[in-house]
Amino acid sequence: MIFESGASGKFVALGDDSMEGEIDGEDDDDEGVVETDDATGDDGEQAVTETEKPEKEEEEEVDTSLKPSQDVDATILFTKPVNTNDLPSGKPVRFLVGFKNNGEKDFTVSSLETSFRYPQDYSFFIQNFTTAVYNQLVEPNKEATFEYGFTPSEAFNSRPFGLSILLNYKDNDGNEYQSAVFNETINVVEPDEGLDGETFFLYLFLVAIVVLLGIGAQQLLTTFGKKHLGKGKAAPKVEMGTQKTDVDYSWLPQETLQEINKSPKGSPRGGSPRKRKSKRGSGEE
Amino acid sequence: MKIISVLLVLVASCLSGYMADDEGEPRLLASKNILNQYLVENKDLTVEYKIFNIGGSAAQNVRLEDAGFPEADFQLVAGNVQATWERIAPNTNVSHSVIVRPVSSGYYNFTAAEISYSAGADAKKRQVGYTSSPGEGGIVNFKEFNRRFSPHVVDWCVFAIMTLPSLGIPFLLWWSSKSKYDSKPKRS
Repeated sequence: MIFESGASGKFVALGDDSMEGEIDGEDDDDEGVVETDDATGDDGEQAVTETEKPEKEEEEEVDTSLKPSQDVDATILFTKPVNTNDLPSGKPVRFLVGFKNNGEKDFTVSSLETSFRYPQDYSFFIQNFTTAVYNQLVEPNKEATFEYGFTPSEAFNSRPFGLSILLNYKDNDGNEYQSAVFNETINVVEPDEGLDGETFFLYLFLVAIVVLLGIGAQQLLTTFGKKHLGKGKAAPKVEMGTQKTDVDYSWLPQETLQEINKSPKGSPRGGSPRKRKSKRGSGEE
Repeated sequence: MKIISVLLVLVASCLSGYMADDEGEPRLLASKNILNQYLVENKDLTVEYKIFNIGGSAAQNVRLEDAGFPEADFQLVAGNVQATWERIAPNTNVSHSVIVRPVSSGYYNFTAAEISYSAGADAKKRQVGYTSSPGEGGIVNFKEFNRRFSPHVVDWCVFAIMTLPSLGIPFLLWWSSKSKYDSKPKRS
């Protein structure tokens, strides 16, 4: 159902033929209809783009030729960091834009655009920052301040950029203006931190490796020394089994001990199983 | 001839620059910021105003007034929403802060405060300006905030009590059988 409604919407948007109107009437047909529709739609679009091209170019020219108004005084002040030539990467940059209306008409400050451009060619955009939308009315002889902040990416370390800050505003009659409050080349620099986590853990790791090597060397030396210096070999220890009978029964309760003593057989106390086996063997023979 | 004209232009530009630097108009830029990361109902909220004079002369009788914290929505904890400075010298800045407490939760649009100042003692007309506006901020419900950030002491106590039977009953069973053996004196 949703698809159908979508398709019919397409028809409405593109359809100006009577043919398509007829197809629109039949709801249940699907793929073939869509294909024909696409084909005609493509044709239509191509035709439209061809005819519209010159218009678009004109529009773009108009867009780029937005000029600042004579009655407006726009200023900029970087509050963080104060030095605008070197912006630390990964740290927020904040600035204030002052807007003063010296004219007779109301101005509406609509938005502020900030972008990094290629420093050799300012028409080449590297990064666009979020456009701040203010839509604030500034009456005649009044002024307003706008704050904006952005963070240069750490990938942009130690490279120059053209920082361009554009303030868009319009007057009561709907004329649009644009002031370039800042349009200069800046450097994005690495922030100098005293001790960052990465280097700290690098050194910690190096120290750990040194300690580990020391322990390994000590281990190696002691074993080497034992082999070559200690000639008097200790007699090899042989497992004698559980022949000893000094079993500590003190942990058993009294009743249990009495029971053990009473019982005629008790537990087999023949030492190791191997010996018992050999005894039994000799008895049989 | 050319050199003379160039020199003239240079001198003129220098003079004009010097003049502008000496007695240009004061120009104030004012920012208003909310310093808290979380805006919570019935918890303190710090608002900071900073005024920078980037003009060529001092601004006199600077007055800052913020009507953005009505009593119905905010309770003033510390500071004043009106502030005045006799004089703000060029290339200096002042700051002012207010602590308020939002009464209810929900979205609130923090608007710009108003500043006014005069260019000199003799100036008739006062220049009016607006600070920057922090914009819309969501004030979190106190309960919701506590659920996420409080240490949950009571909850853990309840949890401990609830786990007590399943740990305590086996322990008691073991204890009773152990004490049966412990009551006998050791032989050694």
